[in-house]
Amino acid sequence: MHGVHGRALVVDLASGTAQPFPIPDDVFRRVLGGTGLATWLLLRFAPPRVDPQSPANPFVLATGPFIGTGLTTSSKLAIATTSPQTGFIGDSLTSSYFALVLRRTGFDALVLLGQAPDWSVLLVEDDRVSLRPAHDLLGLDPEETAGRLRAEFGRDLRVAAIGRAGERLVRFAAVVNDGRLAGRTGPGAVLGTKRLKAIAIRGTGRFPPVADPAAVARAARRLAERSLGPETAKYRELGTVANLVFFSRLGVLPTRNFAAGSFPAAETLAGERLATAHRADRQACAACTVGCEHHFRTTDDGPATTVRLEYESLFALGSLCGIDDPNVVLRAAALCDRYGMDAISAGGTVAWAMECVERGIALPGDPAEWPRFGDGRSLLRTLEAIGERRSPLGDLLAEGSRRAADIVGQGSHAWAMHVKGLELPGYHPRKLRAMALGFAVTPRGACHNRTSAYEIDFSERAGDEVDRIALATARSEDRSAVLDALPLCKFLRHCFDDFFAEAAELLRLVTGLAESAEELRTAGERIVTLKKLFNLRQGWTRADDTLPERLLGPDGIDPAELEALVAAYYRIRGWTPDGLVPITRLHELGIDPLLVPTTSGC
Amino acid sequence: MARDTSMLSVEFYGLPALLAGRRRVEATAPTLRALVQVLAERFPALLGTVIDPSEGWLNRGYVFVVDGRFTRDPETELRPGTEVLLVAAQAGGVR
Ligand code: SF4
Repeated sequence: MHGVHGRALVVDLASGTAQPFPIPDDVFRRVLGGTGLATWLLLRFAPPRVDPQSPANPFVLATGPFIGTGLTTSSKLAIATTSPQTGFIGDSLTSSYFALVLRRTGFDALVLLGQAPDWSVLLVEDDRVSLRPAHDLLGLDPEETAGRLRAEFGRDLRVAAIGRAGERLVRFAAVVNDGRLAGRTGPGAVLGTKRLKAIAIRGTGRFPPVADPAAVARAARRLAERSLGPETAKYRELGTVANLVFFSRLGVLPTRNFAAGSFPAAETLAGERLATAHRADRQACAACTVGCEHHFRTTDDGPATTVRLEYESLFALGSLCGIDDPNVVLRAAALCDRYGMDAISAGGTVAWAMECVERGIALPGDPAEWPRFGDGRSLLRTLEAIGERRSPLGDLLAEGSRRAADIVGQGSHAWAMHVKGLELPGYHPRKLRAMALGFAVTPRGACHNRTSAYEIDFSERAGDEVDRIALATARSEDRSAVLDALPLCKFLRHCFDDFFAEAAELLRLVTGLAESAEELRTAGERIVTLKKLFNLRQGWTRADDTLPERLLGPDGIDPAELEALVAAYYRIRGWTPDGLVPITRLHELGIDPLLVPTTSGC
Repeated sequence: MARDTSMLSVEFYGLPALLAGRRRVEATAPTLRALVQVLAERFPALLGTVIDPSEGWLNRGYVFVVDGRFTRDPETELRPGTEVLLVAAQAGGVR
């Protein structure tokens, strides 16, 4: 098979040694690469019911066949591990040069096992690994860490690092490379557990040859042209921050910890306003022609700060916490980047604490330090406390909203806005039935982009009956899984007329695999099912596929309707009414050959 | 016989708002297709990015919300007092 190396490098961090691990072509055919490959490797190497914070929890970094081919937006690094937030699969993606360089080491993936004896940097140079002591890097933010290591080892080195939040095992800590955060589900806390401050990588080999180089080059040119069409203009000109005012207008903008769906001060945080009053510059990920990454600068009297801002960080650090000052939101986003922590979970956890204070429920520490809705200073102070795990309050909130509510009690679970322990992103499911279903069932917890189900709610299909909503959600989830596996950026998805057919053709040109559109769609379903199998092994039960209490009822979705949507989704997936995956379904999807027992216990 | 036209409240969100330079406008049009023509004349900046001049209709990636219902049907009828929102089709994050 073309387009892959057919092997992973498995690193034992305790000894600082590594072994190649063969990956059969058949595995690539079934799971493609990227998140699919990362999920398969996680299943292979994780012992059952692995504790996310134990050295036995594998940390997988995987690439896909499209990386290095010249196909635009394909330079995505997939990470999979067991999430310290959910205990289930934690998969994240970042776009960066790290993925390109990893491909040039001669391996498709890295699997990190065990724990380094002391704080270290894992240095990977082609097939050689070593551990560099990292005490001099502790306390540095991810960008500083990368800068130091590149100054020491050379500019061709690429670095994925954690910040202080990862060092202090904040459960929603991120892994950062090239300024991009893989933050959702807290992979940075897993690297912290492994005592890895950073992974530094140098690949000097070639990309694996593609099946039809001339045709791939032509297809890459065509895709690049389409990527600059009107379908992506919104990302190029404004970015995702444009969502905020529109969502408020529709009543789906999470506000004050999801107590409301509209923010009276939405216009002050409007993306259109940020674009005129705060715009700094626009950048692109590695190997991307679109360039959707918008940076904004502060305009107040404080120290000048420029930071990348997306809708998700804007809502989580803005309306969710009742903050209407864009300068505060920009400073809060910069703090999350500097500490290396997921802005959605950070904002969601602080909003939970703000509601505790509003309801008169005591938090640990000095009441003068507690965060309050609308109080920008208290938001910034609390984010610092979390990132440092400083003070009893910071220590509590570093656990995320679910565990913090466990500790504080007093009914505070009712406003801990998470699914499976992962805080909700910026879509109030009050009017979004497909999104509500997606939040409930997606294996990684409350996630908007593993299903992209909001597209169904924001379309003519919004009023469809339950079965059709569930079917559209499942198919959208399959498409997202394929995009994350090839990989291609989800912002490119509207540039295709018939995504599965056109992606299957690209896959044929790169790998030589002649998959039909339906076979490619099935590969997506297979990946989703593999993630589900991982969760089942971790102890998933039917009760995990639900929404926070606050959203079950008039302020969200009728519980009976959510039950009906989940039941329809299970039926469409071929699962039992309890959400289990029958053996027959594993056969039908061709998953059973992927589940060969290993010494590591799959 | 020509149909009656109607006064409409049209709101722009995201890139359409940035290009039109405003959030709200009043217009008269019996259908969404007719409204697109009105908007194209009043806000030429929308042409190309939001409106396909050769089709006289929205580019892929843009959608109307008419009284709370998402639609790209150009024959959607518009009545007095109808609220029309014009927005880029929504997309969230990528990670
Ligand atoms: S479209 Fe945006 S997120 Fe996607 S690869 Fe390009 S710059 Fe990165």
